[in-house]
Amino acid sequence: MEWTKDKSTGLSIICVYIFALLLLAADISAPFLLEWSNRLIPSDPSHGVYALITLYSASIFAWICLYLLWRLLHNLKGGMVFTTENIRLLRGISWCCATVAAVFLVSMLYFLPYFVVAAAALFMMLIVRIVKNIFQQAAEMKSDLDLTI
Amino acid sequence: MKIIVNIDVMMAKRKISAGDLAERIGITPANLSILKNGKAKAIRFSTLMSLCHELQCQPGDILEFRED
Repeated sequence: MEWTKDKSTGLSIICVYIFALLLLAADISAPFLLEWSNRLIPSDPSHGVYALITLYSASIFAWICLYLLWRLLHNLKGGMVFTTENIRLLRGISWCCATVAAVFLVSMLYFLPYFVVAAAALFMMLIVRIVKNIFQQAAEMKSDLDLTI
Repeated sequence: MKIIVNIDVMMAKRKISAGDLAERIGITPANLSILKNGKAKAIRFSTLMSLCHELQCQPGDILEFRED
């Protein structure tokens, strides 16, 4: 079986669906998981509420991020690569990562290990921003090329 | 300052239509229109050569530099 770019994009779209399912499962099971972890390692009951606020706030941006990724991949599948819409989508994804990082940075006030998640989200934001910058330059070059007769 | 494309003038002098010219130089009428309207960002030497050949003129007859 030959591996083509269409198949690769298709695989990425499937991965987005898998992540959406995982996120849905996490959203549904979050209260039960917290209750279970509280029984294993008893802690301040207010921390459970804070943790739920943190997780559901981050979840909103994770859903937005997945939706933007889904749209981006469909554009790529349709042959629209270096377009202003894709740059806008990448910027959106980057802001989602930044917001998730901010949520977890604030949550460090009650649970310090969230620092790891915040750092990972910030690093992801940086990568997406650089990809966005590359797309921006490529879109300008494409526009030049399109208007070269 | 800008570069003015005077293809219209040369086309009128040689009495050639846009469709004919586009076909002869091997570009699409849409691209010729972009060139004529001054929306093009660049012109290939090969396109310029074909234009000069078909319109029997020099590059200077087609392109003009104008100060603002």
